[in-house]
Amino acid sequence: MIQSIVKGLITAWFVASAAFFCLRLSPGDPVERILGAQARPEQIESFRQKLGLDLSLPKQYQSFIIGLVKLDWGRSLFKDKDVLEMIGESLVPTATLAIISIFFSFLFASFLGTYSALLRGGWQDHLIRLFCLGSLSFPIFSLAPILIIIFAIKLGWLPVSELTTPLHYVLPLITLILPLTSVLTRVVRNQFLESSGEPWIAVLKAKGMGSFDIHLRVYKVCMPTILNLVSMQLSVILAGAMITETIFDIPGLGKLLLTAIENRDYPLVQGLIIYTSLIYLVLYVFTDIANSKIDPRLAQS
Amino acid sequence: MKQLSFETKFGASLCSLYVLWGVVYLFNAYFNNFIPTINIEKELLDPLQEGYLLGTDIYGRSMLGMLSAGVLHSLVFAIVTASSSAIIGVCAGGIMALGRSKIATLIEGIANSIYIFPTVLIAIMIMSLWEGGILTLWVTLVGVGWPGYARIARGEFLRIKTMPYVESARAIGVSPFRLFFKTMLPAVMPVIIVQLVLGLSGVIMSESTLGFLGLGTSEYSWGELLAMAKDVILEAPHIVVLTSLTMAGIILGLNLLGDGLRDALDPRSTGVK
Repeated sequence: MIQSIVKGLITAWFVASAAFFCLRLSPGDPVERILGAQARPEQIESFRQKLGLDLSLPKQYQSFIIGLVKLDWGRSLFKDKDVLEMIGESLVPTATLAIISIFFSFLFASFLGTYSALLRGGWQDHLIRLFCLGSLSFPIFSLAPILIIIFAIKLGWLPVSELTTPLHYVLPLITLILPLTSVLTRVVRNQFLESSGEPWIAVLKAKGMGSFDIHLRVYKVCMPTILNLVSMQLSVILAGAMITETIFDIPGLGKLLLTAIENRDYPLVQGLIIYTSLIYLVLYVFTDIANSKIDPRLAQS
Repeated sequence: MKQLSFETKFGASLCSLYVLWGVVYLFNAYFNNFIPTINIEKELLDPLQEGYLLGTDIYGRSMLGMLSAGVLHSLVFAIVTASSSAIIGVCAGGIMALGRSKIATLIEGIANSIYIFPTVLIAIMIMSLWEGGILTLWVTLVGVGWPGYARIARGEFLRIKTMPYVESARAIGVSPFRLFFKTMLPAVMPVIIVQLVLGLSGVIMSESTLGFLGLGTSEYSWGELLAMAKDVILEAPHIVVLTSLTMAGIILGLNLLGDGLRDALDPRSTGVK
């Protein structure tokens, strides 16, 4: 447990440093790039001081790390607001999207995966496999417009843009749930098949346990692998949620990142990347710990 | 090697079709000067209008041309990027499995930290801060891509290291260099090739994601095309549909081929189908 926390912390430091050096060592002068070619030298100089870029690199790095720990992540260049505050405001929609879609994907995948494993080789199994392969072939930013064309424009069932009713969240959620369910279903199915061939199943059967109880136990054995996969997919889910937001006009982290990139708001971009990486790492460590609780064998090795 | 399944063959045919598509476009672009050009007067034409087989995009460029250029661009970029990652990954994996303990631990540490990095986010950060061209994108994607290959290569090298034929090669005094490249590498290659095929679709996805976010490096990137198309989705849904289908085809083909090859080549594959 301590080991995985340390691993997470080291990686967090890695990401933060990467963000720091990416900005500082980027080719050309970021200040000149922000202010444009016509900027006067004294303008550039004062801006540089504001960003703290006039200090030496080690000094900058020192104050950057201290600022990170003290939760002083700098101010947005464009809106002159605190970066962390801006992130906090946009966090809720993204987190809602991510959590709901993970929950439903998990549910659907558990059902579809075990179902297709139990009916292995049947037409249902093939259909589910085909569905998964198909939906995985469309990246989120092509899946979303296609869903809009089908459900909002052609059929007119669901509204898009301007999130006023819960119904507006349906399309963005489908966009996120489809690919995630597909990834998970395949893993649940294969894990289920692999585990159900093990000798202890035969023992349970011989003892006369009902098939539902056996399936439940097999499913529990598959859990660590599935949880691990979810945590490996987290960065994809986060990135996916951010892309979905930009398409459906949801004021979340993705929208913030995109406008920050467009405005060359470097402190905000840097803060957003570090922040999302931190969420990701916390969840990663959390799954590591949860796994060793579910399967004690993993904790020992 | 087991018999290839229908799905694998279908995937392989899809991939070859795309390669053919790219090559035909390359010849046409080179000899007939068939390169999509901006022609504002002809913007957003539907398919089969005014001699445009697939219509035109937001700048009046022929969609057929845009998609073909996208196929060529994506394939070449994906192949170059994924194979660079694979080469670095195999070397690193070899060092991790066979090298001196200190260097091996160092490389393993680096690989593991990058492996749990949120890849897409890192790529977004680097591309937005550096505003680099296609070379920067290549370096970035290789930088985050090689640990995946290294982990697999390491496992394979560890498995093969103790095999009798490697031990006997070592016993008759084969040089370490030759041992690595001639004796062990061929045995590792199949698994790496499977990973490479699946990696190609990963690179295509990452590249177009960045293109969609406006961080692309080529005007022919499918992501960029889709980013433009989503704003005119009411007037010209054909751009979204055609681009998505073109992209889905190659990703599906690569995934089917990769999965099928893995089942056929992997000696430990249980054949759970």
